Amino acid sequence: MGRLEEKVAFVTAAGGAIAGATARQFGEEGAAVACVDIVEENVKETAADIEAAGGKAIAITCDVTDEAAVKDAIDKTASTFGKLDIVFNAAAFPDPLLPLHELDLDIWRKTFDVNITGMFIVTKHAIPHMLEAGSGSFINISSIYGARSARKRPAYCSSKGAVRMLSKSIAVDYAEHNIRANSILPGPIETPRLLVANKNMDDVIERHRPHLPAARLGQPEEIAQTAVFLASDESSFMSGNDCFVDGAYNAL
Amino acid sequence: MGRLDGKVAFVTAAGGAIAGATARLFGAEGAAVCCVDIVEDNVGQTASDINEAGGKAIAIPCDVTDDDAIKAAVDKTVSEFGKLDVCFNAAAYSEKRHRLAEMPLDMWKSVIDVNLTGMFIVARHVIPEMQKAGGGSIINVSSIYGVVGAKERPAYCAAKGGVRMLSKSIAVDYAEDKIRANSIMPGPIETPRLLVRNPSIEAVIERHGTRLHQKRLGKPEEIAQTALFLASDESSFTSGADMVVDAAYTAF
Repeated sequence: MGRLEEKVAFVTAAGGAIAGATARQFGEEGAAVACVDIVEENVKETAADIEAAGGKAIAITCDVTDEAAVKDAIDKTASTFGKLDIVFNAAAFPDPLLPLHELDLDIWRKTFDVNITGMFIVTKHAIPHMLEAGSGSFINISSIYGARSARKRPAYCSSKGAVRMLSKSIAVDYAEHNIRANSILPGPIETPRLLVANKNMDDVIERHRPHLPAARLGQPEEIAQTAVFLASDESSFMSGNDCFVDGAYNAL
Repeated sequence: MGRLDGKVAFVTAAGGAIAGATARLFGAEGAAVCCVDIVEDNVGQTASDINEAGGKAIAIPCDVTDDDAIKAAVDKTVSEFGKLDVCFNAAAYSEKRHRLAEMPLDMWKSVIDVNLTGMFIVARHVIPEMQKAGGGSIINVSSIYGVVGAKERPAYCAAKGGVRMLSKSIAVDYAEDKIRANSIMPGPIETPRLLVRNPSIEAVIERHGTRLHQKRLGKPEEIAQTALFLASDESSFTSGADMVVDAAYTAF
């Protein structure tokens, strides 16, 4: 008996490492999963993995900043699987490392567009389905950099701070409809994306060292496990919370 | 296959509603549980519930402020079950409502003693066992009143704020030993203890008014589920975190 039996989940950035691991874990725990990503090949692979493991999934290629496309994707999820109960919002823009005065306004806008306006769009179109289903759980990916700053990432940090408060706002406004919303704040997680700005994983650990008391990076599956808990009815009184999954990074 | 198979848990206040529900859930998920409480009848009941349900449990009546008694209880747990890798610290005492200047010093001291020093005492004896076991998870019950203030409860608020930071301190210092420590901050939970200071559960709901967004109190089982997540290896990168289980009470 899976922990998400009978539930239907919509997962953005499902072609990426963290949301991909989450989509697979959701599938394994019995949820039907709509895998959404801007990169067609990656999202198809995640959906195929879930099906190969005996789960139910569809792949939808879609940009979270395109409102009409997101609405179609959500409606397709509900028409394919009958309803929608879980949204895992993870799409994020790979912003360049730059101090504020060197950051182009366009990059600032693009970061906000994907990281937070995309979440607004997905949420806006998911809520009516959750109201119909009588309950729901939003899991929004913020970051430890939504709680403390990182160097040369003004747009990322402020957008991730916004994610935390968006979750709390949804939590407060929709509690009476049994819709919950929580943020996950991952610490440094071992993903291919980390290697864009770093030579290797050891370099990343070294750079973060004083704040990584366990001297290791997190694994995408560790975020996925937290998401399963927040998606399931086990967390029924939990809403508006910032779930740090950071190996005590933010405790120091 | 339980989520805590092979683990051994030490649970304080196990005769109470929240820790009792947690001890039972730990037992149902495969952990061997040492149930500790100052009230002998209650803790015996919890342990026999676990044993009757097919789990493994022992009951030890014991005061968490008694260093020798706690050491003996921890030693007995290890001699009985072979090791100790999960600790749920829930023993708490709350003052009668007083503003600070009207509060007798003895009352202040007894609240700090049970709520904070008791956790220190338990932690100092379970940590060496967790080091021997190669890791562990300490779950400390703080409160939303460790995050926001409550009227006329200066000692309780201060102690619960202390619990949050104690967890982070353990998380940082023992990460290298693979020992994790996290706090749970429950919102108002429906327990018999609430009726000591309130005429009825409805009166509690009324008093908390607009901040109880689900228009209900939490259940002990909802805290237990959060504790289960933190006790299990599913939360392996979660340490030093504040798990607020309050249906968005403090998000508002």
